[in-house]
Amino acid sequence: MSRAFRLAAGLVLALLLGMGAARAIETHRFPAPGAEAVSLNLHAATDVAAMRPLIEDFQATRPDVGITYTEYVTAELFDRMRVACEGAGGVDLVLSSSVDQLVKLVNDGCAEKLGLASTGLPRWTRWRDELFGFTFEPAVIVYNRDAVRPEDVRRTRAELIDLLRADPERYAGRIGTYDVTSSGIGYLFSAYDARAGAVFGRVMEALGRARVSLSCCTTDILDALSAGRLAIGYNLLGSYAVAAVRAGAPLRVVIPRDYTLVLSRAIFVPKRAPHTEAARAFVAYLLSARGQARARETSFAFGFDGNTVPEADGPALPPASAILRPIEISPELLAIQDRAKRARLLGDWRSAVGAPVEAGAR
Amino acid sequence: MSAPGGLSLYRRVTGLVAAVMAVTGIGLGVVAASYARGAADDAYDRLMVAAALQIAESVYTQDGRLLADPPFSAFETLALAPDDRVFYAVAGPDGAVLTGYDDLPPAVRVDPPGAGSAVGDGTFRGVPVRVAAARRYIPDAATPGWVRVALAQTNEARGALARDLTVKALALLAVMMLLGFLAALAAVRLALAPLARVERTMCERDPKDLAPLAIETPREIGALVGAINGFTTRLSRHQAVLQRFVAEASHQIRTPLAALSSQVEMLAWSETGTGPEAEERRARLTRIRARTRELARLTNQLLDHAMVSHRIESVPFAPVDLAELGRQVLRDAASSAVGSLSAPFELDLAFEGPETPVLVLGDAISLREALGNLVGNAIKHGARARLEIAVRDLGRLGEIAVIDDGPGIPPEDRERVTRPFEGGPGRGERGEGAQKGAGLGLSIASDVVAAHGGRLAFATLADGRFSVSLTIPAAVATARAA
Repeated sequence: MSRAFRLAAGLVLALLLGMGAARAIETHRFPAPGAEAVSLNLHAATDVAAMRPLIEDFQATRPDVGITYTEYVTAELFDRMRVACEGAGGVDLVLSSSVDQLVKLVNDGCAEKLGLASTGLPRWTRWRDELFGFTFEPAVIVYNRDAVRPEDVRRTRAELIDLLRADPERYAGRIGTYDVTSSGIGYLFSAYDARAGAVFGRVMEALGRARVSLSCCTTDILDALSAGRLAIGYNLLGSYAVAAVRAGAPLRVVIPRDYTLVLSRAIFVPKRAPHTEAARAFVAYLLSARGQARARETSFAFGFDGNTVPEADGPALPPASAILRPIEISPELLAIQDRAKRARLLGDWRSAVGAPVEAGAR
Repeated sequence: MSAPGGLSLYRRVTGLVAAVMAVTGIGLGVVAASYARGAADDAYDRLMVAAALQIAESVYTQDGRLLADPPFSAFETLALAPDDRVFYAVAGPDGAVLTGYDDLPPAVRVDPPGAGSAVGDGTFRGVPVRVAAARRYIPDAATPGWVRVALAQTNEARGALARDLTVKALALLAVMMLLGFLAALAAVRLALAPLARVERTMCERDPKDLAPLAIETPREIGALVGAINGFTTRLSRHQAVLQRFVAEASHQIRTPLAALSSQVEMLAWSETGTGPEAEERRARLTRIRARTRELARLTNQLLDHAMVSHRIESVPFAPVDLAELGRQVLRDAASSAVGSLSAPFELDLAFEGPETPVLVLGDAISLREALGNLVGNAIKHGARARLEIAVRDLGRLGEIAVIDDGPGIPPEDRERVTRPFEGGPGRGERGEGAQKGAGLGLSIASDVVAAHGGRLAFATLADGRFSVSLTIPAAVATARAA
């Protein structure tokens, strides 16, 4: 997908969201390479470009499976699935980066057990043999190389706060992060940031003073950073940022050294899915060594071994690392989904950031 | 130890032990499963109550409004049951759900009795769940009252823990039962060992030995040994009494019988009249005399039998020379035949045997009695002109045979005649009148030879003569065998 198209798609999305009438955003068809026996209906809150290499590699192992890929934003997918969960939705696979929403759906009994308990991935990536995380995606700070001097690059949150305080006007309006009210990942990251320590409150305060620009989606912020409209992006998905660097964007990706939140994008097969066997095969592929290797080569640069990536500036994150804060796929995430807690976190966030800012990048 | 067809004591005891253990095992298994379930419930109930209390603790008021903020730690606590689904609801004093699952039905919400917490079982969304409830009084709300937290969790982790505990307890139980059973087997064997010792002692014992058993036995078996000893004592006493009675009875009968016999003889001699009446009287007297003689003979034999029976039950054996025995018996026969009225005919008596002694192990007096009876029988019933005693050394056996030129005993009668009072009517009888068999001679000989571990055999020799032989283990052979 070209950047122009992506921008266009983003604009369309913004328009649609602005009209508040959007449901499915894009539908992509991956026909089976061989004689099609099964057509999987995959609902995802993930960029189709990121999933395309994986889907095509899976189809090399299962040429009889065609896949219809419907792309949502996380909240839309969640609403769609809450409805689908009640009755037969005809959905074979549900994939999202907002794992708290997926945990909530699984907790409500939406998912099918797959018998994939013995994968090579860490225990925190799976729950109930129903929900499986398959990516390792650190939350990173992204700098535009042209807009930020190398000596201004900060690698911990405290240093970032100091930078913003030292020269409030320099980056005013040029820092971007998620609008947690509309971004599932943004909300998830900020909740875990808030949980990780008091420093996050000060980060939010500093960002608020610097008139932070808020956005719904990772790609929007990365596009704004690449174009130089923004200088610093906070708490962005590392895999997307590295993909942008690989695509030639003038960005510096920094893995925070004080602590690093790590998200694992997850997938489950709904109960009463029309094609459970093929859906299970797709999940098994994503968790397999082949699927993991393919994911690292193409879309999700980081692996569960936590090795460093050339495009990212930061420490390795081995499983025993003290600064590694995985967002565990477990009932813990139900706390994130608690409506009272959400109301309180959003309130705290709003008061820290200041008056809700309608970002120009949106 | 067991009579044929009787149940083995060992098997009965082990069967009983196994049955008791099986019943106990099943019972303990059920109890273990129940305990395991209780322990698992207890462990996870505590976590649930802790989580419920944490959530209750998180309720706060802001501008008089009740707000909840379920802490991460509550969910982390619940995530210790890693694969269980969690449902919760926080309700204000008015019953309105502040947060959580609005449809967590009131039936599942356990109302704690006091300010604390409670647990129970329930069903939510068709799934069996464990429910914990906690409540907390909020005084500074717009309407002060109790905030209630209901927490429901599926049972996978506690079920797995209960299963795990049960399996481990059952494995332990199985090992204990197996060890217990083996110990019981060993104990039963140990307990029955003295019985085996008693049995062995009884088997190895000389049948003539009626002395009390002197075995070291535990108290429980002591009664049995005492009973055996009591029985053998009574038996030996009874045996002695019986033998004494027979001997005395025979002896007591013999004296008047002798007098009777001589009176009859005298009466017969004195009857010298003629005429049919006198003939008639003489014939009767002859019959009386024959009957009297028969009675005397029988009495003697009974006495002999009693004596011989007693000896072979009680007298220890010693080496006996069969050749010497044969010669002695022949001498006795010759002298008694001379004086006897029963052999009013010429009879050649002969002995054939080695010069060297033919030694067997036995009681000389019993053997002499047996041989004497055979010779007596031969003179009385068989021999026409010649009677021979033949002794042979057969190596491990010694043989002594009484051979006569009479008609012998038909083969079909041979087995029968060795039984008491089964004389051979088939055997040609001579002398006065038709004496019915009723003899003990062959019976005595048969008993004696059996007591010596030998055998009595009848044979018709090649030259037509009839032979009754006794074969008895040689002294040397017995000594060697022992």
